[in-house]
Amino acid sequence: MHIVTDTIDGEDTPLIDADGKRIDEWSECLTLIAQKQDRAAFTRLFRHFAPLMKAFALSGSTLSANHADELVQEVMLKVWQKAGAFNAEKAAASTWIYTIARNCRTDLYRRLQKFDTPLSAEDVSDSQESEEAFVVLHQKRSRERIRGLIKELPNDQAQILAKVYMEGKTHSEVSGELDLPLGTVKSRVRLALQKLQIQLER
Amino acid sequence: MTNFHPDLELITEYAAGSLSLAQGACVSIHVNQCRRCQRIAGQLTDLGASLFEALEPAPVGDAQLNAVLARLDDEKPLEYAHSKSSASSTPAILQRLMRGDFSDLNWRNIGSALRISYLKTGDPDHEFALYHIRAGGRIPEHTHRGTEMTLILEGGFSDANGSYHKGDFLIRRPGDVHAPTALQSEDCICLAVLDAPLRFTDWKFRWMNPFLKLRTV
Repeated sequence: MHIVTDTIDGEDTPLIDADGKRIDEWSECLTLIAQKQDRAAFTRLFRHFAPLMKAFALSGSTLSANHADELVQEVMLKVWQKAGAFNAEKAAASTWIYTIARNCRTDLYRRLQKFDTPLSAEDVSDSQESEEAFVVLHQKRSRERIRGLIKELPNDQAQILAKVYMEGKTHSEVSGELDLPLGTVKSRVRLALQKLQIQLER
Repeated sequence: MTNFHPDLELITEYAAGSLSLAQGACVSIHVNQCRRCQRIAGQLTDLGASLFEALEPAPVGDAQLNAVLARLDDEKPLEYAHSKSSASSTPAILQRLMRGDFSDLNWRNIGSALRISYLKTGDPDHEFALYHIRAGGRIPEHTHRGTEMTLILEGGFSDANGSYHKGDFLIRRPGDVHAPTALQSEDCICLAVLDAPLRFTDWKFRWMNPFLKLRTV
């Protein structure tokens, strides 16, 4: 997709793609929350993302429905509080929101297991956004590509990615659960990443 | 320049949030110092976001929305300065765990060249320790019963397989035997995360093996 403009000059400048369609409603919502504490924008975000967060909470399978609801509330409140840290030029709204959900879920698991730790999941996630324009552009293209290619993954590869990401399992846990050798799990992950063109630079 | 990195599968587990606390912390310190790994971690997090958006939505009622809306007044949006992180060379995670400087830690001497300080992460299954090896000092030959992640924080060391420098990330699997020697030029400090105690194969140190337990502090 060719992107004509992806910066926010004034607060009301919409994000537009080559066909003149708004491409990032969610970035706009976050910006409105940050700048105007806009509850209508928050409500739109909630209606779209809260059901995904609940599904994400329940994918972990060890959380009760009550804990899943608690997690949804906690994540949405964090989105409200932290909207000012979101930078539409550097990050995708969906990735930013997913990251908060992932970290909150991890922290909730650890609280339920009574971990006594000075570190939150956020402390241990990578926080730095790149300052370099070409990296930001590269990241954006890769995001569009991943979004398109993900539907074409064979089932056995998609299944493993879902277990690692949505269920939060390590490769060895997936290997135990599916009764597959660890090497097979790892090679499926590697094949999937190849198909998505995610690779280490030499 | 860093030459040794976590592999793609490990960064995937890291980006998915599926690594244990101690291992995740170790990978995170490397990733935050290494542009190459940071970029790939960014792409792998975007992948997570795509999977997240493709989930079958689970119904959330208006009662939940209203409950959150009612709490918004108490949860004022936070102010962000968009500032870069501090200039300190010690990674933020370690600063938090050490509550001070390397010199303020409790060090335990193992022989004359090596001292170890165990840090408490709260992860019940992994030891998270700083190793300080004197310049030119050698760690007695040992093998691993589990997985060991090593991240070099200061200086460097070499073993039979190569030499490693500040920022390098290494992973040893069960059965790998090595005897790292710090570079002659400066002391080496590294972070080691273990899921099983190591075992000395050097006969002078074998007597210690029965006493080596995983210390999560």
